[in-house]
Amino acid sequence: MSKSIEAKNLSAQLQYQAAGNPPSTLPQTAISNAFPGLEMDFRNIWKRILVGIELHESSNFVVAVDDDAPPAAGQLDNDYRLMSIEGIEFMVAVTGPLYPGGDNVSLPDTTFGDPQMSLEWSNALASIIQNYSGKSVHCVFESLENPKKTVKVKLKVRKFFDEADVNGEKVKLAVIAKDIAPPGQLTQSLCSPWQNDYRECACFYWAATRPDYVNVEARPDGTSTGNNWMQKNRTPDTPNVYIVDDWMDINLVNYTDLFRHWEESLRFIIGGKDEQPPQKVE
Amino acid sequence: MKETIANAPLIQIQRNFGASSCTTPPKQANFHLFDTESGKHILLANGSRIFTISDEITQALEGNADDAEKLFEKFGLSAPAYITDEPLADVSVRSLSLAIAQKCNLGCTYCYAQEGNFGSKNKDMSAEAAMASVNLLFSEVSKGETVNLAFLGGEPLTNRKLLCECTAQAVALSKAKSVAVNFSITTNGTLVTPEDGEFFERHKFAVTVSLDGIGDVHNRLRAFKSGNESYNRILKNIRPLLKMQRDMQVSARVTVTPDNLFLRETLDEFISLGFHSVGFSPMLSSPTGKSEMGQKELDVMLEQMISCGEEFERRVAAGERFPFLNMTNALRELHKGTHRPYPCGAGAGYLGVSADGGLYACHRFVEDEDGAMGKVWDGIDRAKQNLWLSKRHVHFQEPCRSCWARYMCGGGCHHEVIKRGRAACNYIRGWLHYCLQAYIRLLEKRPDYFGV
Repeated sequence: MSKSIEAKNLSAQLQYQAAGNPPSTLPQTAISNAFPGLEMDFRNIWKRILVGIELHESSNFVVAVDDDAPPAAGQLDNDYRLMSIEGIEFMVAVTGPLYPGGDNVSLPDTTFGDPQMSLEWSNALASIIQNYSGKSVHCVFESLENPKKTVKVKLKVRKFFDEADVNGEKVKLAVIAKDIAPPGQLTQSLCSPWQNDYRECACFYWAATRPDYVNVEARPDGTSTGNNWMQKNRTPDTPNVYIVDDWMDINLVNYTDLFRHWEESLRFIIGGKDEQPPQKVE
Repeated sequence: MKETIANAPLIQIQRNFGASSCTTPPKQANFHLFDTESGKHILLANGSRIFTISDEITQALEGNADDAEKLFEKFGLSAPAYITDEPLADVSVRSLSLAIAQKCNLGCTYCYAQEGNFGSKNKDMSAEAAMASVNLLFSEVSKGETVNLAFLGGEPLTNRKLLCECTAQAVALSKAKSVAVNFSITTNGTLVTPEDGEFFERHKFAVTVSLDGIGDVHNRLRAFKSGNESYNRILKNIRPLLKMQRDMQVSARVTVTPDNLFLRETLDEFISLGFHSVGFSPMLSSPTGKSEMGQKELDVMLEQMISCGEEFERRVAAGERFPFLNMTNALRELHKGTHRPYPCGAGAGYLGVSADGGLYACHRFVEDEDGAMGKVWDGIDRAKQNLWLSKRHVHFQEPCRSCWARYMCGGGCHHEVIKRGRAACNYIRGWLHYCLQAYIRLLEKRPDYFGV
């Protein structure tokens, strides 16, 4: 017996809310935490894009070199990072205004103070996948210790999509190739939001499920005031003062709180404000 | 004499359309129900979404069409409006077509350009206007983007020197700005040389050759101004290009009039000649009113288009390439669920330039105040462009607002609609109805065709 409703084309598939599924299964209402995600960490797809080496999923460091790597690539796991492929650079100077309407200034990495940052892979590698799948490309690596030390080596780009043989013709499928994502790889580095990661991941990292700045009120001078979502024991009378994130601060939820009683420690936020605790029913 | 469709009387090649619901006025504004061998299906106008649905849901919708939105809600089919009343505004130009020669050596009676000169004097575009056009095309794009430069006329190859200069200028700007450029030309094929072919191949042109049928059928519609036949000469010129095409694509475009309704054999012949694709377009508005298609002829054309489509289905199901352009385009757009408030980019990202450097909504509006949008030297007249975009939005077109096909059709070619009206709505719906059925069938037989 046929299904009562089956979405056929792409726009129908994107919008369809199957019977029993909640509204959050639609793209425009999804909880947007697929990065790194609860079901898979899509960033891992880029780790093995070049045959012979393994890249870090979210930066341009080489984390491993395979046995079958070309000899010139042998030293790359010794603190080297990928700088460019076929002239397309992956490190860029980041500039922008520090506040609305401000001048464009250098925005260095907040941890290391490096004004250059590596680009996110899925955007940075799009044209490489498009133009060089299955082909060898010129890669340039740079030593972290000594930026003057570079390694130039040709590596092969793995095919991103699987292929099938249809009537003697190679047909590209809308399926990620097995070589690029061996079993288990896509589920590595998943989030554990109700344990470590709500504490571990800093502000604004979680798009919707991990609020940061709550109970926000605008001030006449254009700035705002509000609370840190991790601030403990908030009541409607708690002053709207943001406590800067610090896992040692006793005013903030810590790891143990999350492990033992995240349900009590964390609060739902509705319309940007703390949800009021439910009234006890006698 | 062997009876072919070419020598059969019109009435004999017209099947009975009386029982078909697809060529009648639309029943519903927001959805269209259709059947295939595998069941019942629905196209939702909002988002051009296609579903297979049960008999029960079909009956519910047929019986309560006025409550369709409530039923969509119940079945999980409702969605926020994909297209609002808000028109596009201040659109940057991404594609330009240059009327580099407003003159032509053919005398096609139906030509929108009135035998090439748009009702004005024969003239070539000046080098200043051409270079200003190319510069304008590259002025609003950023590194990594793509622009399109088309050469039309008249017959563009009567001004070959300027065509080559424009191409060279565009290639130089493409390199300097890291902006990709695609070239295309629409030609009558009478002046094409093998050297042109090498030039087009080098610059990866999409070459469209206007051919209206096989042999005499073509000759009757597209003769030289002297009255001489053009078909054999065109084929002699084009054959070397068909052989050498690797990076260029040489396609045939057939303008369908009451005098060349034999699409199926035309399609087979042109595909066998080696054209990269073959497409058909009905003549709906000619300056003289000659050769325009009426309802009867459009019914025959639909019959023929479906016959071509059925052959396409057979070939694709068997794993063969069968480049029937109308079908490949329709299936691609249906699979994506393309929904748009305009029929094309005319007056938005696409503009036509006259020989004098005037900017117009598209190549058909050249020298026509109805579509005027400034001069290439001064840039696009934003006030005129925005007025055009607000007036041409499909939500403000009648009877489009009550038609299920409005977001796929976009309201029909602006030029044809402004000049003649909407004469082909039943034909368009009939063609889409068939394409929807073919889409469902091919999705089942050859999911890999759609990359599924």
